[in-house]
Amino acid sequence: MPLLTQQIPDENDYSLVANLDNVRNLSTILKAIHFREHATCFATKNGIKVTVENAKCVQANAFIQAGIFQEFRVQEESVTFRINLTVLLDCLSIFGSNPMPGTLTALRMCYQGYGYPLMLFLEEGGVVTVCKINTQEPEETLDFDFCSTNVINKIILQSEGLREAFSELDMTSEVLQITMSPDKPYFRLSTFGNAGSSHLDYPKDSDLMESFHCNQTQVNRYKISLLKPSTKALVLSCKVSIRTDNRGFLSLQYMIRNEDGQICFVEYYCCPDEEVPES
Amino acid sequence: MLKCGMSGSQVKVFGKAIQALSRISDELWLDPSEKGLALRSVNSCRSAYGCVLFSPVFFQHYQWSTSVKTNDSDTISNLNCKLGMKSILPIFRCLNSLERNVEKCKIFTRSDKCKVVIQFFCRHGIKRIHNVCFQESQPLQVIFEKNMCSNTLVIQPRVLAEAIVLFTSSQEEVTLAVTPLNVCIKSSNEESMDLTNSVYSEMFVGPDEFDFFQIGVDTEITFCFKELKGMLTFSEATHAPIAIHFDFPGKPMALSIDDMLLEANFILATLADEPSRESSPQSLYLSQKRKRSELIDSNSEAGKNVTSKDAEYISRKAVPKRLYSETCTNISSLENCGIPLTERANGDISEVPESSVSDTEEVPGSSYLRKCDAEKKRCQKIISVLSDTEQQPLLPRKPGFGGE
Repeated sequence: MPLLTQQIPDENDYSLVANLDNVRNLSTILKAIHFREHATCFATKNGIKVTVENAKCVQANAFIQAGIFQEFRVQEESVTFRINLTVLLDCLSIFGSNPMPGTLTALRMCYQGYGYPLMLFLEEGGVVTVCKINTQEPEETLDFDFCSTNVINKIILQSEGLREAFSELDMTSEVLQITMSPDKPYFRLSTFGNAGSSHLDYPKDSDLMESFHCNQTQVNRYKISLLKPSTKALVLSCKVSIRTDNRGFLSLQYMIRNEDGQICFVEYYCCPDEEVPES
Repeated sequence: MLKCGMSGSQVKVFGKAIQALSRISDELWLDPSEKGLALRSVNSCRSAYGCVLFSPVFFQHYQWSTSVKTNDSDTISNLNCKLGMKSILPIFRCLNSLERNVEKCKIFTRSDKCKVVIQFFCRHGIKRIHNVCFQESQPLQVIFEKNMCSNTLVIQPRVLAEAIVLFTSSQEEVTLAVTPLNVCIKSSNEESMDLTNSVYSEMFVGPDEFDFFQIGVDTEITFCFKELKGMLTFSEATHAPIAIHFDFPGKPMALSIDDMLLEANFILATLADEPSRESSPQSLYLSQKRKRSELIDSNSEAGKNVTSKDAEYISRKAVPKRLYSETCTNISSLENCGIPLTERANGDISEVPESSVSDTEEVPGSSYLRKCDAEKKRCQKIISVLSDTEQQPLLPRKPGFGGE
């Protein structure tokens, strides 16, 4: 049956309706967490949180707050569904991911509720594309129980300082070792590859260091394959907050400024690899 | 012991040298001496050798010593430091960002731990430290009197880059044909037989385009393209002209850069002429040898003229004229190709142990192996110029030939 002849449901039948003048404000943020095929979306009146997980060890969350949208309505307490993120991103960039300057793609996103597809209406220059993406049964996401009261060390860095470091990480190393300490070397990233070891040291008085609050020396190792995808968020971000808690869990929060100057956050949690031998 | 320091822009040149040498082999020697720090590389079948020597004044500071303190006493031993290209190359991969960010770079060795430490002191106080393990292995040296070659061409990298821009990336070998009137760089005939590579290109460069042009003998040499490209990108980084020294087919050629601060030499084997394809490679080689010795006699005078022309290399030419180039699809040469050629036999060759490279081997006469022969011939050629630091077996001679 052609789409247009379908019965268009009344506005109030939708449990989620969101309008966006510039679709890139959404697609850019979603790309930052696109390291797995599927994502879980939670919508509340405050906005949408999209979660991607891998290996039960790493979790990425993108927060698109209600204020980013020109119109944002959620009828229920919360709306949850699982969706193929690759397909969603393909649809969002259906008019091309690098549009001509001055032309914006507008988006209207509707979800009728459990079992219904996610409807996307994309418009550019008077041309409208309608996409229907089937939603899936939401899966339970991990609770990292990362509580700010348990945070031991916290650093806020300008992202440019980490960008090259992450893009040049020695991927023959299985782990990325992060040292945070109130004393030298303050903040150190180490890899142990085929070739030997590499260390990257950031002094606490570096002009890239926005804030430095380290209370005790912590040396933790994280699987490099799990952390590498966070580079996607890093390249988009302007600042990054790096925190570790008393269990060695790592939280990376990326502050991303969109094309309209609004701030969004992408957050990665990762659990440590194993006990590190004293060195 | 080695200890040296350089600035960001010097790091870029240093890194370019490593990138150029990575075209030759996956191993790299750091060989410091009073003349400076030499980076050396030899490929596995010994058909290509590269050396870049950074003079002590290239560095901000340069310290070097032979004495290594062992447990008992001071012993004199050179630093035998062989690095895997895989470990060192990634460190120098993003040269533009290194140039931009690095304020100072220090390289020093810790022989006690078989480690080379490379430290980058970057903007914003960031410090990057790489500890690279090295293997104890004596560096190879090739003795090649490039100034004895009868033909010498000196060309600006920009002109050479324009001349070779039409070659596709699949081009493995190129032929350089020279007469006193012009120079032609073309696709190798060997390769144009290949069905997968049916583009045949020829580029003519007039003598005016060269900074220095001396042709003592008309000749046509064929050599590997990738090393030439490596040298070219390096010379583009140093803005120094490339000198090409060569004689006749089968004799190694040299690509060199001579600068105040550094000296780079790539010695490449060239393909020997093939008078007949049916004969075994060995007899081929010997007949070639004989031909070669004749050539040496006839050219010995021409060779002498070339000995000290270094000063002339530096003179530079004004804006070169447009290069004249010609590309055509070679159909006629495809007819000869009955058997489809498989991939080049480089891999096979590298498995041949060093000591047996020049041994006689059973070679059935297929066109696939003809390539192999060619590679092997190049191998044999360069071995003859390797110094005695590594003992190479003499080439086997067949009784009855007794050519030389």
